[in-house]
Amino acid sequence: MTNEDLLSKLKTIIEPYVQNQEGLQNLSENTNFIDDLEINSANLVDVILDVEDEFGIEIDNDGMDKMLTVKASIEVIQDKLASK
Amino acid sequence: MIGNDIVDLKIASLQSNWKRKGWLQKIFTQSEQNLIAHAENPDQMVWKLWSMKEAAYKAHQRRFSLLPKYNPKDFICHDTTVDIDGFVYQTISKYEEDYIHSIAYTNRDDFISKVFVDTSKQYKNQVKYYVGNLLNVHISAVTLQKDANRIPNIRINNKETKAVLSLSSHGSFSAFTIILY
Repeated sequence: MTNEDLLSKLKTIIEPYVQNQEGLQNLSENTNFIDDLEINSANLVDVILDVEDEFGIEIDNDGMDKMLTVKASIEVIQDKLASK
Repeated sequence: MIGNDIVDLKIASLQSNWKRKGWLQKIFTQSEQNLIAHAENPDQMVWKLWSMKEAAYKAHQRRFSLLPKYNPKDFICHDTTVDIDGFVYQTISKYEEDYIHSIAYTNRDDFISKVFVDTSKQYKNQVKYYVGNLLNVHISAVTLQKDANRIPNIRINNKETKAVLSLSSHGSFSAFTIILY
């Protein structure tokens, strides 16, 4: 899966939790979920569970640690997809 | 060192379904999950433990200038303490009908904490107002600035201070905890 495909799927997943819509319009690899999109930190768990469901992967604690930005999330997902 | 976290219980129940499959397991250790399962009010226990972890995370991150990380499960809650990587933080949790507020600290005597209702989303101005009062300066002299690790700092007349500030805002409530030195 290309990074563009992944980004668009990730965007769909995070959308319901985003509290700053402007941040979503300007979504890029550097977007930070909490600072730029104002996703509640408790909702990051939902993002992670949704990612697991969407891609059929399991994200362990090490993967979860990093998932605060779009870039890091794409890396974690690519990594888990590759070892599937 | 201090950190604090507030949970608006009404908003939390709308934003998060902690009964969702896998949700608790991602955040809580087995013993914490047992506490929740056996709690008289499981909902309150979920958010109490969550706010303890968040408060301890903020204190720990600031204490060691750590990069932001999403590792709630590494912060292990006991009755009134949280362990992380061999360090222990004391915690105080205050329950009200509408919110739970937790403070994590290393030294009991040196902090001031305040919770306020904030429906205007202007909580930073309110924080500046309180800080100005505490430091005896006009609100216009107070600025709040986040450092590279997103940790808030207080500046007075554009000069750095040693004050340690932790901010938290959720739904209708905002809170801060401060050490002035």
